[in-house]
Amino acid sequence: MKQFISFVIKEAKHILRDKRTMLILFGMPVVMMLLFGFAISTDVRNVRTVVVTSQMDPQTQQAVQRLSASEYFTLTQTVPTPQQAERLIRSQKADMAVVFAPHFGSRKSGIQLIVDGSDPNMAQQWTNYALGGLTQMNGTLVNTKMLYNPQMKSAYNFVPAIMGMLLMLICAMMTSISIVREKERGTMEVLLVSPVRPLMVILAKAVPYLVLAFTILVVILLMARYVLGVPLAGSLFWIIVVSLIYILLALSLGLLISSIAQTQLVALLLSAMVLLMPVVMLSGMMFPVESMPQVLQWISAVVPPRYYIQAMRKLMIMGVGIEEVLTEVLVLVGMTALFLAIALRKFNVRLE
Amino acid sequence: MIKYLIQKEFLQIRRNAFLPRLIIVFPIMIMCVMPWVMNMEVKNIVVDVVDQDRSQLSQQMVHALEASNYFIFHGQKSSYREALTEIEHGQADVVLVIPPHFGRDLTLSRTGGAVQPPTVLIAANAVNGTKGAMGSAYLSQIVTSTVAPTAAAIQQKASTLLLYNKHQNYKLYMIPALLAIVMMLMTGFLPTLNIVGEKEAGTIEQINVTPVSKWAFILSKLIPYWLIALFIVTVCLLLAWLIYGLTPSGPLWLVYLLAMLLALFFSSFGLLVSNYSDTMQQAIFVMWFFVVCIMLLSGLFTPTRSMPHWAYLTTYINPMHYFIDAIRTVFIRGGGFREVFHQVLALLFIGLFMGSWAIQSYKKNS
Amino acid sequence: MNAIEVEHISKSYGKVKALDDVSFSVEKGEIFGLIGPDGAGKTTLFRILCSLLLPQTGTAQVDGYDVVKQMRQVRCRVGYMPGRFSLYQDLTVEENLRFFATLFGTTVEEGYPSISAIYSQIERFRDRKAGALSGGMKQKLALSCALVHSPNVLFLDEPTTGVDPVSRKEFWEMLGTLKERGITILASTPYLDEVRRCDRVAFLQEGKIRGIDTPEVILERFKDIFNPSGLAHENTPEKKNENVIEVSHLVKAFGTFRAVDDISFSVRRGEIFGFLGANGAGKTTAMHMLTGLNQPTSGTGTVVGYDIRTQHEQIKKHIGYMSQKFSLYEDLTVAENIRLFAGIYGMKDEEIRRKTDELLSRLNFTEHRDTLVKSLPLGWKQKLAFSVSIFHEPGVVFLDEPTGGVDPATRRQFWELIYDAAHRGITVFVTTHYMDEAEYCDRISIMVDGKISALGTPQELKERFHQPDMDHVFTYLARQATRSSD
Repeated sequence: MKQFISFVIKEAKHILRDKRTMLILFGMPVVMMLLFGFAISTDVRNVRTVVVTSQMDPQTQQAVQRLSASEYFTLTQTVPTPQQAERLIRSQKADMAVVFAPHFGSRKSGIQLIVDGSDPNMAQQWTNYALGGLTQMNGTLVNTKMLYNPQMKSAYNFVPAIMGMLLMLICAMMTSISIVREKERGTMEVLLVSPVRPLMVILAKAVPYLVLAFTILVVILLMARYVLGVPLAGSLFWIIVVSLIYILLALSLGLLISSIAQTQLVALLLSAMVLLMPVVMLSGMMFPVESMPQVLQWISAVVPPRYYIQAMRKLMIMGVGIEEVLTEVLVLVGMTALFLAIALRKFNVRLE
Repeated sequence: MIKYLIQKEFLQIRRNAFLPRLIIVFPIMIMCVMPWVMNMEVKNIVVDVVDQDRSQLSQQMVHALEASNYFIFHGQKSSYREALTEIEHGQADVVLVIPPHFGRDLTLSRTGGAVQPPTVLIAANAVNGTKGAMGSAYLSQIVTSTVAPTAAAIQQKASTLLLYNKHQNYKLYMIPALLAIVMMLMTGFLPTLNIVGEKEAGTIEQINVTPVSKWAFILSKLIPYWLIALFIVTVCLLLAWLIYGLTPSGPLWLVYLLAMLLALFFSSFGLLVSNYSDTMQQAIFVMWFFVVCIMLLSGLFTPTRSMPHWAYLTTYINPMHYFIDAIRTVFIRGGGFREVFHQVLALLFIGLFMGSWAIQSYKKNS
Repeated sequence: MNAIEVEHISKSYGKVKALDDVSFSVEKGEIFGLIGPDGAGKTTLFRILCSLLLPQTGTAQVDGYDVVKQMRQVRCRVGYMPGRFSLYQDLTVEENLRFFATLFGTTVEEGYPSISAIYSQIERFRDRKAGALSGGMKQKLALSCALVHSPNVLFLDEPTTGVDPVSRKEFWEMLGTLKERGITILASTPYLDEVRRCDRVAFLQEGKIRGIDTPEVILERFKDIFNPSGLAHENTPEKKNENVIEVSHLVKAFGTFRAVDDISFSVRRGEIFGFLGANGAGKTTAMHMLTGLNQPTSGTGTVVGYDIRTQHEQIKKHIGYMSQKFSLYEDLTVAENIRLFAGIYGMKDEEIRRKTDELLSRLNFTEHRDTLVKSLPLGWKQKLAFSVSIFHEPGVVFLDEPTGGVDPATRRQFWELIYDAAHRGITVFVTTHYMDEAEYCDRISIMVDGKISALGTPQELKERFHQPDMDHVFTYLARQATRSSD
């Protein structure tokens, strides 16, 4: 036991002394939370709009005023022809043009929206908002209710995703690198020859990273709650339990990588290729899984963070009980057991 | 002398167990998989309907729903509560609640009866804000056009013309972004790893006692990766054309010019990081940190104009932002040099600034 | 019962036979030496005995336990120091020691008597990070860590490579005290004086044991390899009085620490100048200033007529450099390495091709033209690296411990190349820890604590300090050192 503790302390010293890595490890979650919480959003805002009209009659004036009154649109200028508007859009001086037909005032019709369609989603939303503003027909018939996220903040969607990504990164990448570093530097040989059980070497490696990951989890949760105002709607207990299962899963993946990789570079690249890319791309973190073709959806079914992120979105944001995320939790537990078994089996007590 | 150094780099890249495979597999994977993955198109929204009216009108609504290709009609639920459970289970995304006597009340209110015009309720799971917003917007359009054809007619009088990306193809929007990611990895990360690797192996000391100037050394490290990046960009453009039939609408040389300018920035940045790091792990982490920030704030995934003002200010020094703006103008909007002149200038300026800083900080002797 | 019993052990990696039917036994309390050229299979044998590798055939017992079946018992009873540094660079000296002590179930206090001789030298730096120690000090710390738990059997895989002669002597004296306590030691070494201190030695070559006997018998039987006839070193008659290197009052300070403390000397054209000193005496720093890697803090110096302060890029064009740490790119072939460095010095393609052919045939390397450098034996790499460093006919070539870790015969061949270069008028500036090599030099300087404490021909120095050979001269001077770090 004394050996184990001194091992853990040694490992903790390695982590604490590498100031730059520590800074990144804690800076990354904070910066990402702030970016996703405050800087990045898909809200419709400040859409640069050009008005195309040949004559400003009162009706046109009224319509234009309605548009500019909303926070969504910023009227930049007025040009006489659609061609000029198009040129402005092409050179990125405007995003959208509202063309009023001549005699719009008398006929009360004849509006055309010219929209920069490069980004299909945004184009669609701009159109909806603009039409809503111009025709004033929405809202009376339909009462829309946004569940769980009434202000439609992107942070609600991203906080669980950031947790999924960072915990995986810290546990898997850092553990595998630190084990492989000992292999590379030759210290592993000495550790193996010592009377300490090889399993203990591994456990001692995992403990500090577990603590580190847990600290970061707490930081993220605190920031989410008090800085970003994301509610922790579900039970905190279960959020932490599920996160711990996930951390364990990530640790065993890191262990697995370390038994395959011989050099730090390989471990780094393997973690980046095998873990980071699929997590960012296929876990539903940024890109919804259901929009993917079937084949990719199948592949994403074996990406662990997918289940974690899904479970966290339900537990944290939607505030459902643990029984609603049982499937996800069971899959995570199963995967953890599987990876841990393979990793321990593959761990070499000798050099070959 | 630089010729020999570049030759050496290519030989080492070729002998590396990993890099040649990366160079071949990477563009193929990026172009064959990524456009499908990086698809933020909102479709296949699963809808539950709570039809308490059971009138002809409500039937029409459900039919219209089923006909739309945005929605998947999941089923009728007997109560709002039951539908909500479905959402909690993740079985449904949106609930449409049609109140009792909706059809009757609607007719009454139109004919001047003493009833308030009734409303349907759309409750959307807005954990993913975009999906919630767009889903409910589409759904209310369907409701409006079924219930109030006159209102829909007014909307129809206001026609919409989508420029450039007429078929609302998300892939067309994302392929320029993929080029940016390729350039970043190839010209940013790889040379950094290479230089820090030589540092760790101690081979850089041997080069430092030879008359190799720092320009020659740096250029010999960067040029191979620039060439590889150009090769990969070419492969990516070819694949985009072959698989998706997408080609740049603007001049091709401008695409390459922009790619090279971005390469200038990223390789200088990578060099800078490698000058200040001692180990690969450090270099990778620092690079990764900055790259993520640069990417998230560049408008690659989300529109820059939706950012708050203070965050928007950072895009003025974000080279990726200029690149994304310019490449989308060239690739999608068909802009020429005149349209992206401003961005080219900004990229060049930032790239040169970074480059001189990097070269300044590289020390052959201490 | 014998402490180590090895019977018919064989081990191969793919087609290469690392060990081929090796059998020997070591008595309890014996110091058993394992000698042989690089790549003879010594490290593989150590790893098998430590139960880190499995033998393909044969059995081995350590302290009465089978290395395959009773791995745990074996691991509780052995100490192992691998050839590479096995320290944690970001832990301090004391933390390293404490960690390894706990690892083996003991404490520093308990193990202190067995390591005091060595550890006392570095104890002053107990709060310094291991990564900031000089090479020799790291080695001492690694040794302390391997010895702290007083194991029954100690495996030392080239423990003193890169360590200066004085420290090596102290180290072997300590092994002697361990032996008295009944500890069995199996050690490999490239140094002849260390071989002589073993009770018995086994000579291993190409995975086979060629002979086991007392050191005298083995060294006599294989004298072609271990005791090559001395080099015929005739002084080149017209040694011009032209100085290639001139240094006066050179100082390099890191903060308040003066790594190089006011040194002055000059080296003539065509001379072989030996630059000796204990680990941490400031040799490497001085060499870095001469080669333009470091700026001096004060003092002046010229190399091939250029100022080391202002014209270091000019200097670099006219010197060659070969360090022990790195010499060639391992993932390039022999020919590609030559081409690269020749190209860097601005030679023409035509000339490179002609001279490459010439060089390869002179070294008998022609068939290895397209072999990757990493698959060459160490001795070959060193010869090649030296040839590459003088390929562009520099005025001076700087060699930083060029022959670390190879057997005497190979070292002798290396020195023939050096003499050859000196004949062609290339000045050779060399550091070494082999005192027999020091005797080969025209003139030598010995650095102690950043200062040059002796300078002259080997003969002069031996007479001045009344010592029988260079080894004693060095020991005499280095023992006066007050600091042991850089």
